[in-house]
Amino acid sequence: MEFDWSPQDEAHREELRRFLDETLPEDWETISRDGPGSDAQAGFSREFCARMAERGWLTQHWPAAYGGSDAPPWRHAIVGEELWAIGEPRGPQYMNVNWIGPAIMEFGTEEQKAQHLPRISRGEVIWCQGFSEPEAGSDLVALRTRARREGDAYVVDGSKIWTSYAQHADFCILLVRTDPEAGRHKGISVLLVPMRTEGITVREIPSVVGERYFHEVFFDAVRVPVSCRLGPENEGWNVVTHALQYERVGAARYARAALTLDRLAERARERGWLEDPHVAERLGHARTLVEAARVLTYRVIDQRAHGKPPSTDTQLARVAGTDADLAVGELALELFGQEGLAYGSFADANFRLAMTAGVAVGATEVQLNLIAARHLELPRE
Amino acid sequence: MDFELDGEQQAILDSVDVLLSLRAGPERAIALAAKGELDHDLARALREAGFLSLATEVGPLEAALLVERAARAAAVLDVGARALVAPALLREVPDVPVALVHADGRGPVRHAAFAGVLLVADGAVARLVRVEPGSLAPVRSGYGDPLGFVPEALRRSGEALGAGSGERLLRWWRLALALELSGASTAALATTVAYLKQRRQFGRAIGSFQAVQHRLARCAIRTEASRWLALEAAHHGAPGERVAVAAAHAADTAAQVFRETHQLSGAIGFTREHDLHVFSMRLQSLRLELGGSTAHARAITAERWAEGAP
Ligand SMILES: Cc1cc2nc3c(=O)[nH]c(=O)nc-3n(C[C@H](O)[C@H](O)[C@H](O)COP(=O)(O)OP(=O)(O)OC[C@H]3O[C@@H](n4cnc5c(N)ncnc54)[C@H](O)[C@@H]3O)c2cc1C
Repeated sequence: MEFDWSPQDEAHREELRRFLDETLPEDWETISRDGPGSDAQAGFSREFCARMAERGWLTQHWPAAYGGSDAPPWRHAIVGEELWAIGEPRGPQYMNVNWIGPAIMEFGTEEQKAQHLPRISRGEVIWCQGFSEPEAGSDLVALRTRARREGDAYVVDGSKIWTSYAQHADFCILLVRTDPEAGRHKGISVLLVPMRTEGITVREIPSVVGERYFHEVFFDAVRVPVSCRLGPENEGWNVVTHALQYERVGAARYARAALTLDRLAERARERGWLEDPHVAERLGHARTLVEAARVLTYRVIDQRAHGKPPSTDTQLARVAGTDADLAVGELALELFGQEGLAYGSFADANFRLAMTAGVAVGATEVQLNLIAARHLELPRE
Repeated sequence: MDFELDGEQQAILDSVDVLLSLRAGPERAIALAAKGELDHDLARALREAGFLSLATEVGPLEAALLVERAARAAAVLDVGARALVAPALLREVPDVPVALVHADGRGPVRHAAFAGVLLVADGAVARLVRVEPGSLAPVRSGYGDPLGFVPEALRRSGEALGAGSGERLLRWWRLALALELSGASTAALATTVAYLKQRRQFGRAIGSFQAVQHRLARCAIRTEASRWLALEAAHHGAPGERVAVAAAHAADTAAQVFRETHQLSGAIGFTREHDLHVFSMRLQSLRLELGGSTAHARAITAERWAEGAP
């Protein structure tokens, strides 16, 4: 047990920071104030990811065979921390490199790998995740979007909801039901669907969070070649649980919360608020939450670095990250008071980014259920 | 970066665990509490096995692992002060119990009634005060560790340990506290989780109710984080911000774990016939030390964000 970064990792972080200083435009704060799915940020991601790719950094944790350089998980974690902290200049593409690409490596055919992996690792493609449905939220296996086999194609009917990035996406990783008779976890398949296929319509759902946060995606007799299926038919649930284990700590939320808290404390100091012991306590307590989330996330990365299978430590990290994010977002609003209500202000931008933390990527209560069952091994009803 | 124990650490912890399972544990803690005693036998066994000098002979992280494990095993001993704090300040680890004292503190001091050495934090310096073990008056208390009264004059006396020693004492003291809090919180939670798996009401195990499960799950997230934060801080040599984070987090966790474990244990949790109190009552004592969570939290802000912070 030891908790030092290797000199190579430290050097990489420094190099990355220099690169960001040089690469991010002056108005980056404005570009990033509406989240990774906004037009500005998704657009910028195509430029930015291409530059990351040029340096071999975008997918460095991937195996060399797929355009990576087998960088250890810790190296990739540093990239996640640095980029997510400043507002994720990879835009929606963080999903591609964190888990969509790895899922294709694990379950894809040679043809699928050849089609998708190079484009992902060059940073030129945007994906969206079509999992949730109106009747399938936390209970994802209740999904009903239907894919019927017709010759060498599936015909997809149904709808997805909350789909981030759908308006910008080139592809969707889509969960469909291929066998409605099979048990709940059976009969689900994964399709890799080009978004510009006839019969797909996207509607933005206006939200209080930011631009382009949520969409509905409708599938009306959409023909998807069978060759676009990822993994075996009716075994999609395996593919998804595998992929989600990576997603749950994929976004380094704690890093974002940590940087936001530092910036908040800096502003508090400039305004003399640190003299108020109550403010000092609040900031200190928020820092403990951010640090707790960081160390629990590191624990998960460490298990991956040791080649261990994912464990419920993922859920511990995830809930801690959510708590930290929410606490920092709320604190920013409270310290700034009504000043923070103005659109685009520091407190507002950070609060809006934080406010969905407890629901996105699997709600907190569901994580707590898993911790109770698997970590504490408490009995079921 | 590696969260797994290496071979040497594993070997140390294996023998620490064997020793603690033979010589510590809630039953023994209850017996010692009835007599208001410190566990001198355990101290001797740990010393003879070389565990009290882990900090100097192996490193602070290994000593930290011992302190956390001892707290989990309900050891009634000044193991944090002796194995972790004293080695950071003194060339030789004392063979007598060590009590940590704040010069401006008013309340009774853990282990003082048995201490042969007091380490006093007095502003910029720490001072070493030698006392005859057993000479300080015991203070009756139900909060786990035996307490003693340290008169004002003693808090102001002794040999100054040099520049920077005051700050050094506070840092390592905070770290020891974080480790003890974390170990005791973990054990309190484990006691209650085990109980709720078998205690049945309304025809089912109480631990199967979701309202109960979520509260326990939240405690588990916090105790895990507390432990890692404290161990990390130990590895880095107890830097000011990290130990304040670990202590504040552990103190807040202790408050939550106390509240939840007692609430969810029902009446049995308040009795001396159930193990919970061995850990939980101690949590209240530990979480107040050094000004408690608010003082630790202010220290974080001072260390990280104040004008001219490092
Ligand atoms: C910002 C954001 C982005 C998202 N992006 C995507 C995306 O790109 N693609 C996609 O497919 N989905 C996306 N989602 C959807 C997300 O995965 C779901 O919102 C989430 O899984 C919860 O489902 P729900 O919103 O239907 O809530 P519900 O399932 O209706 O839950 C409502 C509340 O009930 C609680 N609850 C539910 N079941 C239980 C239970 N068994 N025990 C106790 N409490 C329970 C939940 O925890 C929650 O608090 C996104 C969501 C957000 C907020």
